Amino acid sequence: MVDSKSSSLGEALVARMEQMTWDRIGELSQKNIRRNALVRDQGESLRALRDVAVGDGDSAIVIAAGPSIHRHDPIAAIKNSGYRGAIVATESAMVYCLRNGVVPDLVVTVDPHDRIKRWFGDPDLSQEELDADDYYRRQDMDESVRREREFNEEVIGLLDRHGPDIRIAVSTTAGENVVRRCIDTGMQIYWWNPMLDDPDAEDSVTRAIWRENRLPLVNAGGNVGTSCWMMAHAVLGKKRVALTGMDFSYYGGTDFLRTQYYYEIRDLVGEDRLGEVFMAIHNPYLDREFFTDPAYKWYCECFLELAADADCETVNCTEGGILFGDHVAFRPLADFLAETTDA
Amino acid sequence: MADILKGNFDTKKKVEPAAKTTEDELEEKFEREAMKRLGGSIAFVSKKKVKWDLDD
Repeated sequence: MVDSKSSSLGEALVARMEQMTWDRIGELSQKNIRRNALVRDQGESLRALRDVAVGDGDSAIVIAAGPSIHRHDPIAAIKNSGYRGAIVATESAMVYCLRNGVVPDLVVTVDPHDRIKRWFGDPDLSQEELDADDYYRRQDMDESVRREREFNEEVIGLLDRHGPDIRIAVSTTAGENVVRRCIDTGMQIYWWNPMLDDPDAEDSVTRAIWRENRLPLVNAGGNVGTSCWMMAHAVLGKKRVALTGMDFSYYGGTDFLRTQYYYEIRDLVGEDRLGEVFMAIHNPYLDREFFTDPAYKWYCECFLELAADADCETVNCTEGGILFGDHVAFRPLADFLAETTDA
Repeated sequence: MADILKGNFDTKKKVEPAAKTTEDELEEKFEREAMKRLGGSIAFVSKKKVKWDLDD
């Protein structure tokens, strides 16, 4: 149960999230960047995307993989509306799109963790690996992920079939197995560097990376969903960007066990103090309470800061979650589709 | 804690915080190791969007 009166532990962790994130991904990211330099010629620079017509018109819809996409099924409404704008999907939402007969106009991947390979299909998936890691099985995601082996075969099939049709913005921090699958399935790869620190700062790690590979630097905003939004407006130039699946939170009643960082939070504070780390947030548009963990709360705060300076209108059509604020409208997807499709 | 507690007067002499001990450093390292597992997926950099090129 989330302790609504005191989430001081959670807020304290949010305040330290920048350092915690660096500690978590800094070394692995740089290792992946060095490795990916060897296959740089298997794709183009993200810069090349600026010359490609991605989706019609000046709008885009981001499809991320938060719990709301399974509750509201936005792809069905998008298909029924005849929407012709750009569809930009996280790698974790790519299978959801493909299963529903939609090839995203652009897929984005950035996370350096090896776990991400599951969204691309893992030809070497072993039972030992499945037994050792229940990360996907226990989370509040597509129930079919629980049938992991079958799911894996399905993903392999989908990507083997649709790979050549997929444009994917691959971060230089992407893991070896992810990059291998992108190459092997014939995806059209566009390389980019995520900013790991301020490139204008003295002794910037990001600047040093750029000197080596000269690839564009993109502020990934802490997570792949925000990266998609950044790509949609700052790279593809879209002026109206809708978000779906960007919950940054969990629905009330979700068991803590089914949250992303359950084991890590439990190991840090103990089972009896979990409620002090998760934070309850009331969504006034839905008059409903959601709860979030420190990482997702940080993602939300980062997004709101970025949205304040964005050259686009941002409309959160997730119809769930905690992302709303001064520069992020919160509206039903049906409204956005009505405004951006021909009658 | 030093940046949370606020004083209500200026001291005549400048107060220097005590130098960190090896124990402090070890504790800090342990704390960072314990907390890093809760870090985000990738970095966020304040007030930045896209840089196509950097001026060298």
